[in-house]
Amino acid sequence: MVNVFSVPVFFICFRESLETSIIVSVLLAFLKQTLGPEREPRVYKRLVRQVWWGIIIGIAISLCVGCGMIGAFYGLGKNHFSGTEDIWEGTFGLLAALIITAMGAALLRVSKLQDKWRVKLAQALEAKDNKKRSAGDRFKRWAEKYAMFLLPFITVLREGLEAVVFIGGVGLATPASAFPLAVMCGIGAGCLVGYLVYRGGNVAKLQLFLIISTCFLYLVAAGLFSKAVWFLENNTWNHVVGGDAAETGAGPGSYDIRQSVWHINFGSPLLNGGGGWGVFNSILGWQNSATYGSVLAYNLYWVAVICGFLAMRYNEAKGHWPLMKPKAKRISESDAASDTSSQQGEVIAETYEPKKVSTDFDAARSSARQLDA
Amino acid sequence: MALSLSNFLYSSLLLLLPFGLMADAATVTFDWNVTWVRANPDGKFERPTMGINNQWPLPLLNITKGDNVIININNQLGNQSTSFHFHGLFMNGTTEMDGPVGATQCGIPPGSSFTYNFTIDQPGTYWYHAHQRGRYPDGLRGPLLVNDLESPYLGQYDEEVLLTLSDWYHDEMPELIAKFISVANPTGAEPVPNSALINDTQNVTVSVQPGRTYLFRMVNMGAFASQYFWIEGHTMTIVEVDGVYTEPAEASMIYLTAAQRYSFLLTTKNEISSNFAFVASMDHDLFDKVPEGLNSNTTGWLVYDSNVERPTPALLDAFDAFDDFNLVPQDGQKLLTNVDYVMTLDMKMDNLGDGANYAFFNDVTYVRPKVPTLYTALSTGASATDVTIYGGNTNAFVLAKDEVIEIVLNNDDPGKHPFHLHGHNFQAVLRSDEDTGFYDPVNHTAFPAVPMRRDTVWVKPNGHIVLRFTSDNPGVWLFHCHIEWHVNSGLVATIIEAPLEMQKTISIPSDHWQVCRDSQTPYAGNAAGNTVDLLDLTGENKSPAPLPAGFTAKGIVALVFSIISALLGMVVISWYGVAPIGTSELQSAEKRIAEAGTEVK
Repeated sequence: MVNVFSVPVFFICFRESLETSIIVSVLLAFLKQTLGPEREPRVYKRLVRQVWWGIIIGIAISLCVGCGMIGAFYGLGKNHFSGTEDIWEGTFGLLAALIITAMGAALLRVSKLQDKWRVKLAQALEAKDNKKRSAGDRFKRWAEKYAMFLLPFITVLREGLEAVVFIGGVGLATPASAFPLAVMCGIGAGCLVGYLVYRGGNVAKLQLFLIISTCFLYLVAAGLFSKAVWFLENNTWNHVVGGDAAETGAGPGSYDIRQSVWHINFGSPLLNGGGGWGVFNSILGWQNSATYGSVLAYNLYWVAVICGFLAMRYNEAKGHWPLMKPKAKRISESDAASDTSSQQGEVIAETYEPKKVSTDFDAARSSARQLDA
Repeated sequence: MALSLSNFLYSSLLLLLPFGLMADAATVTFDWNVTWVRANPDGKFERPTMGINNQWPLPLLNITKGDNVIININNQLGNQSTSFHFHGLFMNGTTEMDGPVGATQCGIPPGSSFTYNFTIDQPGTYWYHAHQRGRYPDGLRGPLLVNDLESPYLGQYDEEVLLTLSDWYHDEMPELIAKFISVANPTGAEPVPNSALINDTQNVTVSVQPGRTYLFRMVNMGAFASQYFWIEGHTMTIVEVDGVYTEPAEASMIYLTAAQRYSFLLTTKNEISSNFAFVASMDHDLFDKVPEGLNSNTTGWLVYDSNVERPTPALLDAFDAFDDFNLVPQDGQKLLTNVDYVMTLDMKMDNLGDGANYAFFNDVTYVRPKVPTLYTALSTGASATDVTIYGGNTNAFVLAKDEVIEIVLNNDDPGKHPFHLHGHNFQAVLRSDEDTGFYDPVNHTAFPAVPMRRDTVWVKPNGHIVLRFTSDNPGVWLFHCHIEWHVNSGLVATIIEAPLEMQKTISIPSDHWQVCRDSQTPYAGNAAGNTVDLLDLTGENKSPAPLPAGFTAKGIVALVFSIISALLGMVVISWYGVAPIGTSELQSAEKRIAEAGTEVK
């Protein structure tokens, strides 16, 4: 059993593929439901292709980097990567949390539109960029246009590298024969869950599906955010200890007592894939050793999300942001958290001026202040 | 250079050790000023070192059995207190001269004087060293030889040679200890020495003549490293171990932990065509990580002919050292049976609430009591037999007089540890193999009929040892790991042997009380210095609190808050998702589309 199937390797592959496949399936189900092959096949295909390209390129890069790392490890006998592992885990985690946060809100808002509006909006994404826009605005447009690529790409890249590093660590003590089956089963199980999510997403009512999946995405993002802080703190601790603290196991010494909020000596996601705890860590950001930083990050993330959604709803209902005076009549301001589309719609309808349109939210807000004044 | 000169004196003195010149017991007096000197024994780094009378290496104490020794200490270090322990001497009737600070005396503060006065009634190879937190690795350790005019091996050798082994640190102990017992060293990785020394230098040469027999006396005076020792082309015949004569036993390599001693006979070859290397090699098993560039080997040479080259020693594939359990004491003392009392010591390393790593016997890490244990025993009358008055962090055991005591030490740590008992040597009746776990008194390998006796024995990783001795020496005796790091992290037990007998026989000289007064140390009452209610230990020295286990109140609050905020967040998301789209949202979409529309075509 041990020689043909490594349980730690299974759990590593499972948890890493699980998170990716859930995010990917939510995106795919969303695209199918909103655009669908029959509604707007051209845009739909393009966006679906974006998702898959994101996955493929992410896998390709993480494989190359991973092979390079393992090669370097065996070739040079030194784990050059482990020193910076926590830094990239933290950085990628922060990045992924931000992207998921932005996209989650956007998807949920799009789901409220009627079908025809969604299709038109999707088509609008296809539009050629206006050269006269500011650089920041063009980046926003670009990010919007390729969001379906970026999210899977970042996710796969992070998860893939993480898997390679963890397996590399486990692999030293595991016979090669124990890998193939465990890797395949792990990835297979992760994909299966993703597929079920996708099927469920296609069957369910779009709004319900998106509410559930958005909640889920935010749970993941909160976990990622908290983990990112945790990894950055762990990096500091490793420097204090002068080595990889996780090598001491899950017990005393694997964490900084001065920062500890709770610590239990089991359920570490860093050891042998962590088993079920690893899955728990991957999806909800569980830590057996919570720090002030990770707990505060988790809670503050949720506070920020709650405030963001309340503000968005307030803005939708009242036409202006909370704590700000309503704009002059006929100028309504939409939300900013999502994106670029915060404009003075009614103004545009009557007197369309391309230059003015390019103002982003801050510009709009400042113009609102001017108007207030 | 002073160093090489003193080394020269050292060897020449040794080779001229006189035999049979003295007859009656004499009183030998030494005046030692403890001072800072600078030393660079490995030629790599000069550092401040604790010396005696402005000299380092420390003087050889060459005593004849039966002599009365008086050593007047004056601490002129200026910044650190100290004490001296004469390792291996039973100090029968003079437990107050044994030396460990906190057990039998107060530390001698800078500027104070203290006299050690005792009679040596044991032959063999010993050493002396400071016995206060980390002092001796900073220099305060030296050899002590007791000549025996009735040695069974007298006449079987022509000359004596002393070889001391030691590890050596470039950094000073206070700084190293602070790093060692620190939240930043949670694994308790011991600082690794920078060098190893033979006779407090390197590249020692021992001039020998062909066809003669030498008695080599060896001491490992190191703080941490055990050392393998071998001599190329020669066999060693062990005749003494830790002051106990043994039946001759042939060995090609011996293993000396910190504080262990051996004497062996070596007969030189008959031709003088070449010289031979001898090597002391530090045991890497003790080091968590071998630093790059560490030279663990120290080489010396038996020089038959100083004109012939000194060969580089051959590299070995493996270390195969003599097992000291094969030694048989020459006096034939039989295995002690009918054990009256068993001291079980389960040792482990673990972290306390300050995040640092400590060493434990039976879940208690040793912390020096406020009142030295001997003074507690002497000042508490009939209560002295109550183990509780010695404090909660001293691992105290009160032994009755003249009983057979068995120490069972279970090593729940994956490291080797050399254990030393003050005031006695013990029969080493069992040393298990590695990873055999705790001792099972019902099922164990047979004890030897005549067990080896010594005062320092090492236990294998995750194994156990069983030791026996007779409690015939009233006094306060420590039992501890002789790795100085582990003494500092608390791997110490206190034996209070026949306290009521002590009260009758022991009287403390006034200068001993004076150093307590000089250092503002209480010297009466229980471990906390309470002379009224001896069972009230309020204010005693304690170890840091244990690490909080699992979820404490703050952890539960944090977890509950996290769950609530996640749930609340999802409620808000759902609420937002269900709410109908607002007009402004619709407008922004319209605008976006309209804008795109104008741009597309």
